[in-house]
Parts: sequence; structure tokens; C-alpha cells
Amino acid sequence: MPVRVVESNAAPQVSGNDPGNRSPLPPSSLLAAGQAFSGTQNVSNQQKEEAWRVNVQIQGVDLEHGYLCGTMEALNVPMADTPVITFWEGEIVDGKNYTFYTGKWEATREDDMRHWSKFPSFAPLQGQVESDGGRQLDLSNYPYIFMRWKEQYFVNVGTDCGLTIAGFYYVCFSCSDGSISGFYYDPNSSPFQKLELKTVNEGKSGFSFSSYELQ
Amino acid sequence: MPTSSSSSSSFSSAASSSGNRQADVFSRLASSDPEVKLKALREVKNQIIGNRTKKLSFLKLGAVPAIASALSDSECNSILVQSAAALGSFACGFEAGVQAVLDAGVFPLLLRLLTSSDEKVVDAGARSLRMIFQSNQAPKYDFLQEKNMKFLFSLLNSENENVSGLGASIIAHACGTTVQQQVLCDAGVLEKLVILLDGSLSQREACLESLATVLKNNPEAVSRFVGLEAGRYLSSVTELTKDRYPRTRLLSCLCLVVIYNTSPSYFLNMGTKSSLVTTLLELLNDHGQSGDDAALGLSSLIAEKEDLQKLAYEANAIKNIVDILKTGSELHPKRLQGLFLSLAELCSKLEDCRCSFLSLEMLDLLVNALRHKNADVRTAACICFRNAARSVKVAVLGALSNIVLDFSSPKSTFIEYGGIKQLIELSKSMDPNARCSALRALRNLMFLADNKRKELFYSEVKAQGFVSLISDPEPTVQEQALALLRNLVDGCINSIEFVFDEDGLILDTVGKQLRKSPQAHMAIQGMYVLTNVASGTELHKEAVMQQLFPQPQAESNNFMLKFLQSHESQLRSATVWTIINLISPSSPGAHDRHVKLRDEGIIPQLKNMVNDACLDVKIRIRTVLSQSMSFGDN
Repeated sequence: MPVRVVESNAAPQVSGNDPGNRSPLPPSSLLAAGQAFSGTQNVSNQQKEEAWRVNVQIQGVDLEHGYLCGTMEALNVPMADTPVITFWEGEIVDGKNYTFYTGKWEATREDDMRHWSKFPSFAPLQGQVESDGGRQLDLSNYPYIFMRWKEQYFVNVGTDCGLTIAGFYYVCFSCSDGSISGFYYDPNSSPFQKLELKTVNEGKSGFSFSSYELQ
Repeated sequence: MPTSSSSSSSFSSAASSSGNRQADVFSRLASSDPEVKLKALREVKNQIIGNRTKKLSFLKLGAVPAIASALSDSECNSILVQSAAALGSFACGFEAGVQAVLDAGVFPLLLRLLTSSDEKVVDAGARSLRMIFQSNQAPKYDFLQEKNMKFLFSLLNSENENVSGLGASIIAHACGTTVQQQVLCDAGVLEKLVILLDGSLSQREACLESLATVLKNNPEAVSRFVGLEAGRYLSSVTELTKDRYPRTRLLSCLCLVVIYNTSPSYFLNMGTKSSLVTTLLELLNDHGQSGDDAALGLSSLIAEKEDLQKLAYEANAIKNIVDILKTGSELHPKRLQGLFLSLAELCSKLEDCRCSFLSLEMLDLLVNALRHKNADVRTAACICFRNAARSVKVAVLGALSNIVLDFSSPKSTFIEYGGIKQLIELSKSMDPNARCSALRALRNLMFLADNKRKELFYSEVKAQGFVSLISDPEPTVQEQALALLRNLVDGCINSIEFVFDEDGLILDTVGKQLRKSPQAHMAIQGMYVLTNVASGTELHKEAVMQQLFPQPQAESNNFMLKFLQSHESQLRSATVWTIINLISPSSPGAHDRHVKLRDEGIIPQLKNMVNDACLDVKIRIRTVLSQSMSFGDN
């Protein structure tokens, strides 16, 4: 979800990943292409309490490459006439393609730890991550999936809309109920803007699933 | 060019006035005077060389049998040379000509010329036979017979370049099985063929073609070839990809593609891969047969290889191919097939490729290709469509600008209408691959589709249409049809109503298929159809129960229990999701359905599965069991 521009931002640093020998994470049916989520992002700052309604839809998941992508729609953005939609791409922390260390997007290891440790489900992993970056951890049986979501571009508004997508989200997905929590990180925006999402099922009494062919 | 003689230069265009002259040539062909006969043969030969219309017109007049009898009756070497040359000309690049030549029974006569003591006769016979061996209609040659193998080697050993070239052409034409490849290798054919690599242009080309045939999908043959003189000949073939003749460049590329596809380990060098890709891309611009063949070569090279697809993409393959397709000139079906297959491969894995492809406004061309008269072209376009439609950014890009699939504008609605209609037509094709591809494309089009698009699709296919797709004899087609249905009934609650059209005909068919012990992949899609339907109202959930436990009971074989015991975790997961939806606490009939599921042994089975090896399944089962406890079941 976009946030207000505070000042111009530097280009994100590019850095290599840290691929290990692990296998990709197994599929989780609620973190799949087509699944929709809805909730809020708290954008409060010292002056004002504020939360924007947010909808997310996952458009693609490629566990082999630790990749997923989707769209994010911010509904009651004060300076926009319409809901603002962005397209994001995500990295799944699987120890194979990506680790807990971001290594880019202006995030230091300290920033990483400060954000991950805000998720209660990260607590059991923290010690291991601090000692070796989590290299020894096998996350394939862990009921939470950690990710980074980075918005790539605006879908329905121009870049001159007064909003920025320079930062990225630290995200934690709960496999059991499909709930998502996240923290937006951008050195130039209010810190720890919290994203909270739950699965939606469009007025139905149950879950439904679409798919497209991934050969 | 004006001529002073009475030769019939306007044979085909002025049939009435040329009647006498034709009769004249034919009577001269039958003349007992060798000089007259020779002159007539030369006349025919000179007229038909490179002229398809003339060939056809002479063919219709029965020239081939007339020349064949000149060949069989004469002892005169000049006449043998001229008649063999004329027959070869008829067969050159002209299938009807090959047919006529073979029908006239000249094949053994031409073979006999190879034993002549006159070098010119041998040469003419070999040339002529080579023309015939370029066609698929040429007789198959049985290498397994010893005398045939001996004869083949006598050809390959010949000093005459047309004769040794003929040997290579026979191999290229007739070697089709692993056994044949093995027999040829054991007889030392590779060692003979590689000598021709240093020969004349025609020998080289014939050699490259036959090498590709002998090596194809045969790792043992490839390792033997690469081992010859420590890889010298692999280097020679690689070197020939830079030859000045396009055909040689193409054939050496195709040979390398075969080697690569058979034994990729010989191609560790990124530079070789990259130059192979760029050479094939350059050859695409050749207007002749080499360009046609290069397109299929490229698609075969990059098939299922992400690294090569990336190389091709970086070498601007998409833009090159699309530019060729957009030239507007009529392209050979083989080239169209190769170009669409290459695009399909490029769009199969790399999202960047899909975006770049979609941004080139190709949709009209693609829809046209889906209507092409050639089935191979239609299938290729269909696969391409499917892979491009897989793009996860399509919807987003579409909204971003009007470049892609903006379904709201009247133009693209029209295109989509045409596209969907064509795909539905293709889903009824005789060819199971085409059916499968068409359904996959439709499935991807229905992924998160809005109601308007779903209605549009359903109004074309209807309940009966769906029933035949789901009941297709091919399991892979059934799987795609069910996956398509699954997408159709996902989304808003109204979408579920599609399966209730015509008294629930579609849902009944899904139930029927699931009761037939289907393969796991099909069952997964079928169970997700039931899951999606069960996410709806009370009525929808009850309809699913009807399919799971139909009356009379005898019909039921409790397939859910089998699915829960499947080794395929996705099938277990899909089945548990159906159960979750059926007993969703928000629905009034949940309790009764739970009782039924318990009595049918489903809930007890789930209790045995609390530690399922698959985390996803385990989590879902725990959801069911906690719901179960709230119903008072322990």
C-alpha cells in the first residue's frame, strides 16, 4: 500500500541473495494464487491517528523460486479520489532462495531484526537467526511463512499522485487461519506501520479456490 | 526470353495452342531416333527446372511415365543421363512429382544406374535419387538387412560426391528408431559420415542432416560421436554454424540442437549456447526453407530450458519473432508453427517474456492463427495463448494502460469474444493435445474472471458442452475441463449457479466422474469444484452432499475415503477443504451434514490423520476436528 511522500528517496541497493541447499517451502492452500485478503494498515503518526482499509489479492506463487506477487488496494486514502492499487512482488523466506536478511532496499540487519522480532511467531526462531542468519532452520514444517513484499508500481494512478511505494513490508502469514500481519519499512516514512489482513470469501460461507496452470 | 525454335515456352498458359507442341514433344520422346529422343528429353528438363507450374502441367500430360520408359528402354548413356536428370527435376521439392516418379516404377531403375561404369550416368542416378530421398514418400530403407547395409557403405565410400551424399540422404530419410541408430553406429556409420563434413557443400549438408538423425535422442550415439578424435567433429559442426551458406548454418545448428537435447552435458559453455541461439534467431529472417526450419529448431532448442529462454529473450527473440509475424506476408505453416511454439516456450516460464510479448499487441495475430487451416499452426497458437495468458501481470498491465487485455473497450471485447469462441471450437478438436491446450487457455482466462466474461464463455459452451468436456476419453482433457469449471464457479456466489443449469447436469457429471476412481490429478480438480460449490448457500452444500452420498446407496463407493487415503497430498487437501465448507459453522445444516460425514466414516478417518505428513493437510484436518468437537463429537 502506498504511503505519503515525505522526501525524495534514494535508489534501492541491490545485493545478492543467499541461496542455501534447502528445498522450497511446501504449498499452503490459503497462500495461493487467487486468494484474497482484507484489513487495515495503520498509518498513524505523531500528529494523527489514522488507518487505511486495504485489500490484497495474490496473483501468483512460485515456491520453487521463493516468489509470489499480487495487488494491494488502499481504499480510503485521503489525497486520492479513487482506491489506489499497487502491484507488489514478494520474497518468501525459505532458506533456499531468501533468508531473513534483506540485504537491499536500505534495510540493515538491525532493521531486519527489529521488524521480524515484532512478530510473536518469530520469537522461537530469533536466537538461531541472530547466530547464523537462520541458515540451520528448517522452515518447511513451521506453520508461519515469513515474506518481504515490495510494491513495484502503481496500477491505476500516476507516480505524481503524492504517494510513495519506496519501502517494503516485512510480512508474516499464518498457515492455519490465513491471517497476515506486516510492518511497512521505509526510512523516510513513519516507522512500524502495521498491516493486518484476514482472508475474505465474498459473502460466502466457506473457502473457494481458483488456479491456473503452472507446469 | 524470346526463342526462335518451336519449343513450347507457353505450355501452361496457352493450353489450346500448345496442344500440338505437347503432342510433338511426346511423340519425340517416344522416337526411335536417339538424337530426337535426347533433344526432347533436354527440352522437357530445361522447361521444368525450378518451375512448379510447368512441372504440374507436364505431369498432368503423363510426361513421367514417358520419360520412365525412355530410361528403361535405352542403352545410350546420354539418354540415361538426361532421363534421370528430368525425373530428378520432377521430384525436386514437388511432392506430386515424387509420387508420379515412384508410381512410374523408376526407383529400381535409378538404383541400377549407380552400378554403371560411366561416371556421368552414376552421377545423374545419384542426383536423381537424392531428390527423391528429400521427400517423406521415398521408400523406407531396411538397414537391418546385411546386403542393404553393405550397399549403403559402398555409397558412403564412393569418391563421387553425389553418391556419398546419397548415402547420407538415405540415412537421414530412413533412420527412425533407436535400433536402427544402434545398428548404423555399430557398423561404423559415424566414422564414415564425419569424413563428409570436410567434403563439398552438398556432402556437408547431407552429412549434417544424417548426423542429426542418427544422434537424435540417443545418448550412446552422441557420446560415440563426441568421442571421435577427442571432440574434433563436435567442434567442426560448431564451426559450421558460422559458415557462409545459410542452409549449412541451419543444418549445423539443428545438429547441435539434437546433441544438446540428447546430452546437455556437452554444452556447458555459455558462449556456445548463446551463439546457437543468436544464429537460429538470425536464420529466422531467411525467407526460404532454412527460415522455416530455423523456427522449429529454435522452439526445440529452448523447450523447457529456462536458461536458454533467458538467453533468447536477452537476444531480443520476442521482438524478432513478432516482427516476422507482423510482416503480413503469407508464411509457410511450418514457419508459423515454429514461431508460435518458440513464443510459447518463451512465455512458459519467464514473466518478463510474457509482459514483453503482450505489450507488442499480438492478440489479433494470435486469434487469426487460432483459425488457421493447418492443425499444427492452430495447436502452436493455442499453446502460445495459454502460456501468455498465464501472466500474472496481465490484469495489472491491462489496467495500467490500454496495451494489453483491456476487456472494457469494445475492440478487445470483440477480440476476446472471438478468442473465446475459437478456443471453445478447438476444445472439440479431434486432437487430444489441441483439446487440452484449448481448455488450459480457457481455464487461465477464467482465473479470477469477472461475471461478464464468465457469462460470455458459458453462453458459448452451455451445460451439454461442459458435460462432453468433463466426460472426454482423455484424462488430461478431463482434468483441464474440471480445472476450468473450478475457476468458473469461484468468485461471487452467483457463479456457483452455472453448475445448476439444466437440472444440475454439470454437477451430476462431476459426481459421476469422481465415483469412477479417477486419476489423482483429475480428482484434485473435481474435488475443488465440489469445494467451491460447497462454499455457497445451504442449497449448494446439500447438492454437494448429494454427489458425495447419492441415493440409492448402492451407487456410492465413498470415494472421499479413498481420496483421503491418497498419496497425493493435494488430493487430501482438496477433499478436506470440501468437508470444511460443508460443516462451516455459519450454515444451519452443518450439524446434520457432520452427522452424515461421521456415519459414513469420514470424520473417523480424519481422526486417524491428525499427524498427516503434509503440514497443510494436517492444519486443515485440525480445523475440521475442532469444528467437530463444537458439534459435541469427541
